[in-house]
Amino acid sequence: MRDCLARMEVAVSAPLTYAARLKEKTGRPVIGILPMHFPAELAHAAGAIPTLIQDDPEPITVGQSSVFNFYCGYNRSLTDQLLRGAFDGLDAILFGDHCVQLLGTADVIRAERPDLPILFNQLCTTLDAGWAARETRGTFSQLWQELEALTGQRITTEAARDSIRIYNHNRAQIRELYALRQAGAIALSARDMQTVVKSSMVMDKSEHIALMDGIFAGLPSGPAQGLPIYLSGHMCHAPKPAILDLIESCGAHVVGDDLFTGWRYIHADMDESADPVEAMTRWYLDKNRRVPCPTRATRGGDWETYLLERIESTRARGLIILMVKFCEPHMYFYPEIKDAFDARGVPHLLIETEHDDMPLEALKTRVETFVEVAGRKAALTTA
Amino acid sequence: MSPDTLTAQTRPIFGNGEKANKLAATKFGGKLVSEYWEGVFRAKEEGKTVVWYNGTYIPPFFHAHDLVWVHGEAWAAMLAARHREIGAQARGDARGYDRELCSYARTHIGQMLIEMDKLKSGTSDLDPDDPRIETMLKLPAPDMIVNAYPYCSSGQQWDDITYRMFGKKVPMFTIQIPLLWGGRPDAGYMQGEEWEQRSDYVAEQLMALTDFLAEHTGRPFDFDRLSDSMSYVKRAAELRLEAMDLCTATPSPASFFDWIVSIAPVNFLPGDQNLVTYFEGVKAEIETRIANGEGAVKDEKYRLFFDGMMNWNKVGWLADKFASVNACVVAGRYTHMSFWQEPQLIDLENPVRGMAQNYLICPNNHGAPIMIGEIEKLCDKFDIDGVVCHASRTCRGMTNSQFLIAGSAKKYGRQAMFFEGDVADESFYKDELLNVRLEAMIEAIDARKRAA
Repeated sequence: MRDCLARMEVAVSAPLTYAARLKEKTGRPVIGILPMHFPAELAHAAGAIPTLIQDDPEPITVGQSSVFNFYCGYNRSLTDQLLRGAFDGLDAILFGDHCVQLLGTADVIRAERPDLPILFNQLCTTLDAGWAARETRGTFSQLWQELEALTGQRITTEAARDSIRIYNHNRAQIRELYALRQAGAIALSARDMQTVVKSSMVMDKSEHIALMDGIFAGLPSGPAQGLPIYLSGHMCHAPKPAILDLIESCGAHVVGDDLFTGWRYIHADMDESADPVEAMTRWYLDKNRRVPCPTRATRGGDWETYLLERIESTRARGLIILMVKFCEPHMYFYPEIKDAFDARGVPHLLIETEHDDMPLEALKTRVETFVEVAGRKAALTTA
Repeated sequence: MSPDTLTAQTRPIFGNGEKANKLAATKFGGKLVSEYWEGVFRAKEEGKTVVWYNGTYIPPFFHAHDLVWVHGEAWAAMLAARHREIGAQARGDARGYDRELCSYARTHIGQMLIEMDKLKSGTSDLDPDDPRIETMLKLPAPDMIVNAYPYCSSGQQWDDITYRMFGKKVPMFTIQIPLLWGGRPDAGYMQGEEWEQRSDYVAEQLMALTDFLAEHTGRPFDFDRLSDSMSYVKRAAELRLEAMDLCTATPSPASFFDWIVSIAPVNFLPGDQNLVTYFEGVKAEIETRIANGEGAVKDEKYRLFFDGMMNWNKVGWLADKFASVNACVVAGRYTHMSFWQEPQLIDLENPVRGMAQNYLICPNNHGAPIMIGEIEKLCDKFDIDGVVCHASRTCRGMTNSQFLIAGSAKKYGRQAMFFEGDVADESFYKDELLNVRLEAMIEAIDARKRAA
């Protein structure tokens, strides 16, 4: 298992280098995909190497010239990576979220790299609007055509179905890992889980599927020790592994999450039997009913209600919210979550994360206190 | 007082002490705005249906349907302009809204919370000395919510919170006004396949809005009344643009700050004769000033362009700030690229598609190349020396692309500068930073002029 994780870790530590090597080996174009709602399946079906663009650990330096410091770390990192030339190996970028900060970054990329095709297709964000299905079908159909034009290769329905099948399989593998962790059958750390999910975003799918098989073959059995905790938030990019380590070093262990680089990314499959565009459309439009996302609008489905249910189903004893500094959708919805958890008496802790170095020692004191308080409350409840 | 007679005690810290020469005609707008808010406050007593909305200028639909409307941003801007925003923002802070969140939203949501506190406590009695009382006492709760935000994702989320705060019981309608990315080969300002598709898409949603309004009031939507309202809006918009065009004169007879205080009429006031009268008055005063050689700034030496959202706490302050260094801010992205900017698109027989198109071309809803191209046209037209970018801390919809805008200005021989502030949170404004940067900018413009 450790070997498999180590290979995943190599890809995760330098995803664009991994993609460049794959491109060199296969001759296939690399398409960078921006979070959080575009299906990599289509790029895969077009014969490209899809890679979900990640925040990188480098401090923001040259990027400061093109993005304000009151933008989220992910956007600042994207701009910095762009200006450092990290995206030079990309053959296209697939864009289209309505996040106002990402829209600014899209224009910076276009200005700096006018030669880099940007497949910009903005999805309908009101998922229960009368026209949402029609618009979403139109958006994915347009993307289908643009990918064909970009790669010079027709995407057949069968190829799209194959890609959907492969992606479904990979997602199902990771969900199985989640189920085992939740059931207490394995002691997988939050860092390792992040490596698994993050690497699935950037690695060749077949290779990742094989590595997942390897992980299942060598999983250490037995429950993890510590207070069970649920993690929430951190849209668009992964929290620093050091923060996950810190949380688990304070006597907690993570039993579930709705992080984008986590359950949110792999929670749902596409219908393999349906027309591929229709399958993608349903997959997208049903998202909020499964895992509510603050960036989409629907009349039903509350994030806080979902989280309370997940706390119960995972038997977590507390919620740690990881909020990316300057992430507007999360800032809007945090008070909803806070109020709901206060009303139910479920312990929760907000941690605001930053791209730049964070004072981990100060954070450690807060997490230790939280684990102690939540643990005491759990003991009282059990008694 | 002549600068020569100033002493160390009387000399201003910055500039020469001159004030902006504001248009007198805009006072009529202040009266209209006050009357409008009074009408809002009376809405419940008069049995009116109230719709809260955010985003673009869709009130003609509400006006045509005899509704009372509250624009969340206008409400927040009004509180900020009257320096009454702090209580509302503090209430938002208390619930956990981070101060990096859109300050329009924080002010509006904070106000909602204050109103709800009153309801929960069973009293609407505030201390008579409470400074909030004048502007906060009567904001009527919504019977409907409409969201119609171009470009900015924050607006949609803001109204989602409004919807939740009222227990998900108030009917809500969301209109998506998608970005005109301009990536297709035929893309251009108001042209190309994307433009046509998006125009149809937004028009379709506006038609659905009329169904929504009819459904929730039990009355059919009156399209004749919409056309009637739009006839005044269209004429007012034409007069506004004609008056703006007159500011190519030197000295400029009006400034960006006059156009800022003229936004309310074309943004959210009812489409009636008052709008036309207002802009007739503004245009007439501008013509008189041109005939008399009178400028919006005494001894105009520099002509500037303002990029970014307005700092509503500082409208008069900034107008005087620029005037005190003989700089006239002649035009701006927010004022000159929005608010019925293309009235000729509106067919009064069938106005909906033209309205949709005007909503699509709001000042940040174009991809940067087309948007900056339009800014450059304005800078050429108004003979601009420099571009002032207001980096509004919590309004990322307007700070996006500002580095590209500044770069473009420099490319075409203009100075560019930034100053920090915000739309409705005064704490982000740093006066001395603006002072030193503005001084540096005008010195650089002087040097450039001398060299030429």
